[in-house]
Amino acid sequence: MNLQVELVEKNEMYCFKVIGEIDAFTAPILKKRLAAVQDIEGLYAEIDLSEVNYIDSTGLGVFIGFFKAIQAHGGSMKITNANARLKRLFEITGLDQIIDMEVKEGGNCDATV
Amino acid sequence: MPHEVEKQYKEIIERYLHTQDERDLYAGQKFSRRFIEKEISPEEVIGIHKSALKSLFPDEPNELWHSFDFLIEMMIHYGLALQEHQTLIRKQEEMDLEMKIAAQVQSTLLNTKVPEIPGLDIGFLTIPAKQMSGDYIYFLSEEEKSASIAVADVIGKGIPAALCMSMIKFGMDSLQSDQSNPGKVLEVINKIVEDSVTDSMFISMFYGKYDTNSSVFSYASAGHEPALLYKASRNNFVELDAKGLLLGVQQTVRYEERSIDLEAGDFIVMMTDGVTETRAAEGFIDEDLIKEILLSVKDKPAQEIADAVFEQLTELQNFQLLDDFTVVILKKDY
Amino acid sequence: MKDRSYVDIFTEWDIVAARQLGRNEAKEIGFGTVDQARITTAISELARNIYLYAGTGRIEISRIHEKSLFGISIVASDQGPGIADVRQVMNDGYTTSGGLGAGMPGVKRLMDEFDLVTKQGVGTTITTIKWLR
Repeated sequence: MNLQVELVEKNEMYCFKVIGEIDAFTAPILKKRLAAVQDIEGLYAEIDLSEVNYIDSTGLGVFIGFFKAIQAHGGSMKITNANARLKRLFEITGLDQIIDMEVKEGGNCDATV
Repeated sequence: MPHEVEKQYKEIIERYLHTQDERDLYAGQKFSRRFIEKEISPEEVIGIHKSALKSLFPDEPNELWHSFDFLIEMMIHYGLALQEHQTLIRKQEEMDLEMKIAAQVQSTLLNTKVPEIPGLDIGFLTIPAKQMSGDYIYFLSEEEKSASIAVADVIGKGIPAALCMSMIKFGMDSLQSDQSNPGKVLEVINKIVEDSVTDSMFISMFYGKYDTNSSVFSYASAGHEPALLYKASRNNFVELDAKGLLLGVQQTVRYEERSIDLEAGDFIVMMTDGVTETRAAEGFIDEDLIKEILLSVKDKPAQEIADAVFEQLTELQNFQLLDDFTVVILKKDY
Repeated sequence: MKDRSYVDIFTEWDIVAARQLGRNEAKEIGFGTVDQARITTAISELARNIYLYAGTGRIEISRIHEKSLFGISIVASDQGPGIADVRQVMNDGYTTSGGLGAGMPGVKRLMDEFDLVTKQGVGTTITTIKWLR
């Protein structure tokens, strides 16, 4: 199983597009990529999950860790295009109350273009 | 002793060189076990071979004997790797034993007593996927006036999760009686967890309290899987969800508290994601499947309902548990 | 016949010189081929460690005699960074990490006695002995 993480940097905005399943095996890949930017002061990050259909608890831990880190540095983040299953996961865990969730159609963060 | 081995090796190889008989090879194979028993390293075996040949064929050219010295040099690291391997196996056995003891300590530490409340039937089951569990059940009762149940799931498995769990237990034990409302309980536990866990560790918890007099069940959830309520009067299920963040993410969190009336024949099902995320051959199970199983045993006692959920779901994943599996049933008697 | 001799380690070729010195001594003391190979492998590991992690150092080889026992002693010393966690270095499984001190459990196994003294920022001295049986 593999996980792809693409990063587009635009006007001080970091856009990650994640492709694959985020589980105990692949979560470290994402964690490493996010950790590389999480200490930047006032960081704004968007994570596009349109190509992710599964996140397990380890994966969720990566998002929480990232959220805490950027919050500590005065930054903010947004999760975009999560499917119904992932949205439910963020709702159940209450994370949708602290992390912005948004559906964007071909937004300015499309790394595949 | 090595001289004895050397002598026997020489006899066997001498016989073989004469006959080239399969029987002598078989004798050699059996003899090779003695090398291992006596912990004779690969380079030593070549040394033994060399001296056996040297005494059998003393007139062979020097190049042949030098080639054996070269081979000995080659084999030394294999010998070391083998010894290292054996030490690591012994170490692993020690660790397995320690894990077993730790698991026993954990089960003693987390032992909880099911409250005896008139009119309320409680059944539960919690099975760790590995030796140590990250799921946690806690029962509390105020004489016969109320029964409280916490079901928690430490995100992550194994030893770190198990260590984290004992902290929840002490948090629960330290609760004062005026903090027994579900929303308040989660608020207090959240503070304890936030203070003491690392940034990558989180806990979800569902906390419910049943009042014997009024038959009201009030509950709150910290990022936990919603519980299911079976309504006997309508023969259907209602999801019991309440808004609330996982424990350990933020310092101060408010937890929504809700309540429902429990009527005769109704039951509440509290679960961890080891139940809802059962993986069958064709992927994750549908939530409806859990409801179907529950419906088929709805008239049974609480413990039998819990057992049935476990049996039927594990059968789907070939009796292998990928995650800790916990289910609690609270059933109001007819 | 000297009782003590040494090779200073500067380049990878000095590892070979240290091996050669060790083998000659071991042969003269009367060690068999298998033990000769063990002793030179130990020297090799010690010298490589110096070369890779301390830069320079010295391998000192001496014949020893105690009561009725004869043997060979190897002292590897350097003024390198020192080893921060000796316990970790002496652990099996660390060998494969390839870091400073890798291969030390192997050296200990190949020889009869093994003693390691290290101080961070000062250096490391490893003394190891094999007895003739």
